[in-house]
Amino acid sequence: MSALSFERLGKSYGEAEVVREVSLTIAEGEFVSLLGPSGCGKTTILRMVAGLVAPSRGRILIGSDDVTSLPPNKRGLGLVFQSYALFPHLTVFENVAFGLRRRKVSGAELDLRVKEALARVRLDAYGERFPRQLSGGQQQRVAIARAIAPQPRVLLFDEPLSNLDAQLRDEMQIELKRLQRGLGITTLFVTHDQGEALSMSDRVCVMAKGVMQQFATPEDIYHRPATGFVASFIGRPNRLSGVVATRDGQGGSLRLGSGLTLQAAHIDAAAGAKVDVVIRQEAIRLRRGQPEPDAIAGTVALRSFSGARVQYVVKLTDGVELIAETPSSGPDSALDPGTPVSLVIDAGSIFAMASEGAAA
Amino acid sequence: MIAPRHGLMLLAPLALVLAGFFLLPVLMMLPTSFREYAPGTGIAPGVWTLENYTRIVTDDYYREVIWRTLGLGLFVTLACLLLGYPLAFLIARGPERWRVPLILLVIFPMMLNLVVRSFGWIALLSNRGLVNNLLIQLGLIATPLKLMFNLTGLMIGLTHIYLPFMVLMLVAAIRNVPRDVEAAAATLGSSRLHVFAAVTLPLSAPGILAGSILVFVLTISALVTPRMLGGPTYKVMATLIYDEYMQLLDWPSGSALSFALTAMAIGVIWLSSRLTKRWAGMA
Repeated sequence: MSALSFERLGKSYGEAEVVREVSLTIAEGEFVSLLGPSGCGKTTILRMVAGLVAPSRGRILIGSDDVTSLPPNKRGLGLVFQSYALFPHLTVFENVAFGLRRRKVSGAELDLRVKEALARVRLDAYGERFPRQLSGGQQQRVAIARAIAPQPRVLLFDEPLSNLDAQLRDEMQIELKRLQRGLGITTLFVTHDQGEALSMSDRVCVMAKGVMQQFATPEDIYHRPATGFVASFIGRPNRLSGVVATRDGQGGSLRLGSGLTLQAAHIDAAAGAKVDVVIRQEAIRLRRGQPEPDAIAGTVALRSFSGARVQYVVKLTDGVELIAETPSSGPDSALDPGTPVSLVIDAGSIFAMASEGAAA
Repeated sequence: MIAPRHGLMLLAPLALVLAGFFLLPVLMMLPTSFREYAPGTGIAPGVWTLENYTRIVTDDYYREVIWRTLGLGLFVTLACLLLGYPLAFLIARGPERWRVPLILLVIFPMMLNLVVRSFGWIALLSNRGLVNNLLIQLGLIATPLKLMFNLTGLMIGLTHIYLPFMVLMLVAAIRNVPRDVEAAAATLGSSRLHVFAAVTLPLSAPGILAGSILVFVLTISALVTPRMLGGPTYKVMATLIYDEYMQLLDWPSGSALSFALTAMAIGVIWLSSRLTKRWAGMA
């Protein structure tokens, strides 16, 4: 049973096509993220689902109902905005009661369901306050309570955590995921933050320039990116330019501009083609000392400590610079600049795609 | 940030001008309002009295003028609100390229002299004016409607003159209503009409309040238009005060009426602010 599906959904503004033929099916109770850089069409898709933007082409189905031409108030959805969008003139209680009152819930049941929704976001004691008397995090929790109180068929989130500071954002990610699992409401979550998308979702839909790049589990998105765009967008990539030397099945070997040759598991171009090579920072392992046979020699140029992780800028013998990331504890966490190192890169973490422009 | 000391210095020039040429004369009027009027000579020397104030409440004629002034203020404010809100909504939410032309149209009448505009209304509203002539020629009425020297005439003229103030205040307020909040109401099940009534209208309350106060205060203190459209006999407080001072030379009574008008204005502003804030949850 699919809870939400798009069939060849598209949106154009004049000549500009912002969403191009997106088709996907989200299962009942599933948490799906739309992930992509700004301008990739993810928010437009969300607003089309909510009924705030009319699609140019295609259909939107909730359950088995075609809602493509229904106004927002007839769709039975819950929407949480980046800006919270609380009713500033109503108390927290009345904000949460708003959707219920529209569904003709009243009296003791209204009271019960509002309190239940507020309890779910741990704001039981705040019913009488006005939104302006709450912190940003509390306001966003009220917005979530307001969206879930009428028990919508689908919950939509539009970058809900982007206005919160980092620590609060991490807490809210876990809280939100737990809440969604507890309620079992089908959820579509729009974000540009890959950490958010990967950690919270059952499946992630990566978008670029209006086109769906890949729709898969977070593990597949990270380890088996379907397109060059996904490979370069997910993780922390080093981007280098090179040429495809030989092809071998899915992969082959790549020659970097400097003459260095690397084995890659995924190559999106024919032999001889100019390519962008993507190497994830976290896929590069550093060893102190002179290189082993299949490793690359380099020198630490810079060390940058950021708490749990350490980043090294490593200068290879031919002048190319790569960024490598390691945990901040362990044998390779304290390499001083100038230390000679050897680099081991897993072929499965090297991706190549046709040179910039043709990729996404 | 500007330090408080520098803030005071920036404020000083205007504050001094206002203190010397506004506050001081007003305070000088205060003793005058407790003096006795001597017909022919003006202020009777050495006599102090409350009669100027008690008369405002007890005299039937004064009471009538006060109620008329308040009623006029209320009607004009309501008329400006009802006529102005749809227009302001169109300017705020309509096509971008209409905005500047529409705003120019709204403020265009303000570029014409007030006397000229009021005179224009005389040409339209008098017994042999354009409106009455047209209605008679169309056979809709037999005798001219009385559109001047009464409340109708003042309402029409003042509504026209103060409508731009209301519209400009409302446009700013409506543009400040966040679209996301309206979208939130829609996804929660509100029809377009309910979104407007439950979200847009209360969230534009600051503009409704500011525009209403402005129009109300301007209306009850308007002098030129009521004089021209009301004639010498149909008086509101502003024209009454003018006549007390300039025709009768009854300065004590004119001063007392002035303070009464100010007190009324402050009272109405205070009450309407409280009511609006309660309604729109701004308190």
